[in-house]
Amino acid sequence: MAITERPSSLPPAAPTPPWHRRSVRNQLFQGAYLIATALVIVYVINALNLREFGFGFLGDPAGFAVPNQWLIDYDGVTNSRFVMYLVAIWASIRVMLVAIAFATIIGVLVGVARLSSNWLLARMAMLFVEIFRNTPLLVQIVLWYAILIVAIPPIGEVFNIGNAYYLSNRGIAIPWPVPDPGWWNAANWLVWVWVALLAAAGGAAWWVRRGRIARERDTGQPHYPNRWAFSLFAVAALVTFIALGAPVSIDKPIIEGTHYLEGMIITPEFAALVLGLSAYTASFIAEIVRAGIQALPTGQSEAANAIGLTGYQRLTVIILPQALRQIIPSITNQYLNINKNSSLASAVLFADLFFVAGVFQNKTGRALEMFVLIIVTYMLISLLISAVMNVINARVTTHRV
Amino acid sequence: MAELPQPAEARPPGRVVLPPHRERARRPFADRARDWARHNLFPSRGGTLLTLISFALLVLLLCGVIWYVFFGADWSVVSSNRWLLFAGSFPRDEEWRLWVGVAVVFFMIGVAYGLWSRFNRRDLLFVAIASAFLIFLMAHGGAAAWSSIWFLVALALMFGGYVVAVRIPRDNSRLRVRANRIGIALIALALPIVLLILMVGGGAVSTDFDGFVLNVILAPVGIVGGLVVAIPLAIGRASSLRIISWTCTAYIELVRGAPLLGWLFVALFILDDVIGGSLVVRTMVVLAVFTGAYMAEYIRGGLQALHHGQDEAARAVGLSRRQTLQLIIMPQALRVSIPPLVGQAISIWKDTSLVSVILPMRELKGNADSAIAQTEFIADRIEAYVFVAVIFWIVAFTMSRISQRVERAQGVGER
Amino acid sequence: MRLVMLGLAALLSLMLLAACGGGDGDGQAGGGNAPESVLRDVIDRGVLHCGVKGSQPGFSYLEPDGTFTGFDVEFCKAIAAAVLEDADAVEYLSVASASRFELLAAQEIDVLIRTTTVTAERDAGRGVDFAPTTFYTGQSFAVHADSGIFSTADMDGITICVQSATTTEQNLDDLFAELGYSYVPLGGEDQENQDAFIAGRCDAWTGDQSNLASRISQLPNAADFRVINEIISKEPLAPGVLDYDNAWKDVITWVVYGLINAEELGVTQSNVAAWSEDPPNTAVARLLGVPFEGGEVADLGFDVDPQFIQRALRAVGNYGEIYERTVARVGIARAGTLNALYTEGGIIYAPPYR
Repeated sequence: MAITERPSSLPPAAPTPPWHRRSVRNQLFQGAYLIATALVIVYVINALNLREFGFGFLGDPAGFAVPNQWLIDYDGVTNSRFVMYLVAIWASIRVMLVAIAFATIIGVLVGVARLSSNWLLARMAMLFVEIFRNTPLLVQIVLWYAILIVAIPPIGEVFNIGNAYYLSNRGIAIPWPVPDPGWWNAANWLVWVWVALLAAAGGAAWWVRRGRIARERDTGQPHYPNRWAFSLFAVAALVTFIALGAPVSIDKPIIEGTHYLEGMIITPEFAALVLGLSAYTASFIAEIVRAGIQALPTGQSEAANAIGLTGYQRLTVIILPQALRQIIPSITNQYLNINKNSSLASAVLFADLFFVAGVFQNKTGRALEMFVLIIVTYMLISLLISAVMNVINARVTTHRV
Repeated sequence: MAELPQPAEARPPGRVVLPPHRERARRPFADRARDWARHNLFPSRGGTLLTLISFALLVLLLCGVIWYVFFGADWSVVSSNRWLLFAGSFPRDEEWRLWVGVAVVFFMIGVAYGLWSRFNRRDLLFVAIASAFLIFLMAHGGAAAWSSIWFLVALALMFGGYVVAVRIPRDNSRLRVRANRIGIALIALALPIVLLILMVGGGAVSTDFDGFVLNVILAPVGIVGGLVVAIPLAIGRASSLRIISWTCTAYIELVRGAPLLGWLFVALFILDDVIGGSLVVRTMVVLAVFTGAYMAEYIRGGLQALHHGQDEAARAVGLSRRQTLQLIIMPQALRVSIPPLVGQAISIWKDTSLVSVILPMRELKGNADSAIAQTEFIADRIEAYVFVAVIFWIVAFTMSRISQRVERAQGVGER
Repeated sequence: MRLVMLGLAALLSLMLLAACGGGDGDGQAGGGNAPESVLRDVIDRGVLHCGVKGSQPGFSYLEPDGTFTGFDVEFCKAIAAAVLEDADAVEYLSVASASRFELLAAQEIDVLIRTTTVTAERDAGRGVDFAPTTFYTGQSFAVHADSGIFSTADMDGITICVQSATTTEQNLDDLFAELGYSYVPLGGEDQENQDAFIAGRCDAWTGDQSNLASRISQLPNAADFRVINEIISKEPLAPGVLDYDNAWKDVITWVVYGLINAEELGVTQSNVAAWSEDPPNTAVARLLGVPFEGGEVADLGFDVDPQFIQRALRAVGNYGEIYERTVARVGIARAGTLNALYTEGGIIYAPPYR
């Protein structure tokens, strides 16, 4: 705000009363505002009648079961509502992670394709964006679900690919790694030792890669950072795998009666939700990517062409790294939307946190408590996503090309 | 945006060569077509491969869609439930009110288009296809032939409004300024006028709104109400008074923190104790409050995009704070933020479909669910949802097209 | 200028809506603190807000023209006829099982007639009061005809479609805990469950036996499914109203009892007009609220006039007629079931109307 100073040429005025002074008026205004806000809050609290407010009911047994469990063994008779809520949060997070990954990949591909010099490809990318962006996500999800359970054959007529991959309206079953006693007949926890070792190897590989990139910069000589890092990781993984006596084996799914056993089972509910979230969000991400690339000065691609980079190199080395700076904040917003939009799970019978909270509310009548829980959960997940994206953003923006 | 040719004045001035398109136009069409194809479809071996793959995909998709639409699908779930999907439990005797409302809205769209943009060939094609689709839908089977006549009348009104409005010269004349004002007033008053037509004199009550009609009423309420909530919020958040900016920020973040379904949950279960009122009104309040928080962020973006010189200059010429805000800052900030605001408007249009997920209200998607609950249509889920998706798409796409055209014509989004 | 206009328009429309919203009589409902009877509200409003399911053939069902039909709907009409003298003065709300009690508590609906099971917890803990049971049923399972499942003993490890947040779900969980079996639940609203079951997404679909039977009977491929011959729970379905509202509950209770008594007494939709002029006996005269052979009209102290049951009967007929017109149409026979009159071996029994 500009500071208005009294021009000295004016005749001396009478001393201004305090309520004419900006600062005093601001204070008064804020005070009045504060009182009004406080009154509204008091009214709301009073209207809500918080006497019985409390979360004790979450300790009672839930009394119902949920499908779509993974890595968890939960039953509603012995476990409390709180545990079930945690299970449901985990279900939501799984959906979000997969949807974020797919949406990003599809979105970037389509966004780049929209700017392709290939007329047909660009048009098809545009078609994708216009279709998925302009229809409600809810309708997309229920449509995917309808297709998955109506148009895909029932388990009696399952698509069987090599007795390892199955597709029916009970879901997709694929082989999946599971802990194995291995050669030394060891306990299951050995697999976690291996996972920890893998993580350590990954860290070491990353460190080596960074060092080599730095040396490449300093010397101008090729030091093959990616090849080195990858080989290091592969060797470490193999050595530890053998040293621990093969603690992991691949489980092929089998069909028993009308359901899948073992392997990884992707239910139609999960798949419909992920398909809907990914396609919908991808159409927005595509537009963000396109805008980010278009915002770059054309000189960048011209210069890349001039020094003889191929189209792929131009995109990955010159264009995308620069465009990312503008793209990432908007993409973060889309990830936050995925978080919130995952609440549509109940439309396809997927027991996410919103669905489970709704059932609790219905069983106990505790609407306010459940809403507080819902909003706090979504905000926490949002904060988590923002925090991760801030780290990524910081790396990208400090990284000079 | 990308497909639009550069406006004429963007070309470097002062060169006395024939414009390239006229150079090119002298050559035979076949040559031009070949050149175009070589550039845009078959530039290299990789490019050709890409084109072929895309082409194969496109053909596959098109064949699939055509087969589905004409042979695979059974559309009787839609044709027998036209009224249910369109208006549901809206009183049948008052159907004319709906059509008068449609006519008014179409007329306003025509006027707005005539004032601020021009129909081009592509717009006409889109209107023709969409109208043909809707008329076919209504006249098919003859049961609702009357409604297609109503629709044609509304279309005629739209073109009438357009033809009148497009004749107004695009300059700074008094007539133009006045026409602009009338146009804006018409758009702003569209919702109250339509509501009056629907309700006044023994018409519908708020619980009668059902099906597509409910979407069409909820969305504008959310948009206009959201804007009303958003402007003070945005100013408050940008304010230098800490308490105000903090509370506004807290409000915005709180609302944006939970999904819309969560807030509808509040409308259903909690708001009753706080503000009372009927469920429809509570839902509208929630939609406005929800949209407002998002719109406030976009307007704040617009405020931040303004150079602070604007404020200083306005103060320097002696405008008061209020005048500065009202005459200098807000008009520019709103202008900059119109594209994301329109995006939000389209978003709330799509989000009206969430209403029937937890509320006992049946909008278009909810009534599609009722339609497939009818025993003879149990197998037609996909058809019903595809139809719902197409209807939502037509409106959302029209919104985005209109706003793009108007934005471009007005240079909105830039400063 | 533009802004001001926009704001003005918004205010105007909001005010208009608020006014119209209030015009339906809901305006004061939420803020009211005195326990005034819903009966008063309904009469003032001139429209009954009836919470129904809207997707169950035979019980409440939304037709293509936007009208509702079914057993539950007939009771809504009977109440509207009794209280408002117009069987069509009903606003039907399709209520999800997940929000039905809240909608009742918020007075969005005046009465809940949505195949709702009477339970102690709902009566005592959820602020609902139940009118007499209108329909007796029990929970059972529908399975695919070729599935080889004949009783709950064959159900270990299967996927079951069950409506979430219902007594059905609790019964299921209790049963499987008792049997020591595992199952995979898939929970949505009734309609979604039906679709998933038909598509073969789940092996069994559980719910009220009447509901399962009626829905399956309506399917074009009804022979592909069957309902197992085992009932695992008691599900008495009754209209629900808010607690502490005797005036309203009395009216609904005695509309239900009145329609049952009418069946016992032989009053039908076709003879009610004639018998109102000339009642055959005192019991009929009392029920119809007309004098018998020059006597007085018996006023039993309801907050509506004594002819309210007569109006309900004129609108929808007696209990048996409603049953025949709705539930029997979807293939649920009455004879020999709990829903027959007590004189015919059932347990449909109404206290005397006097």
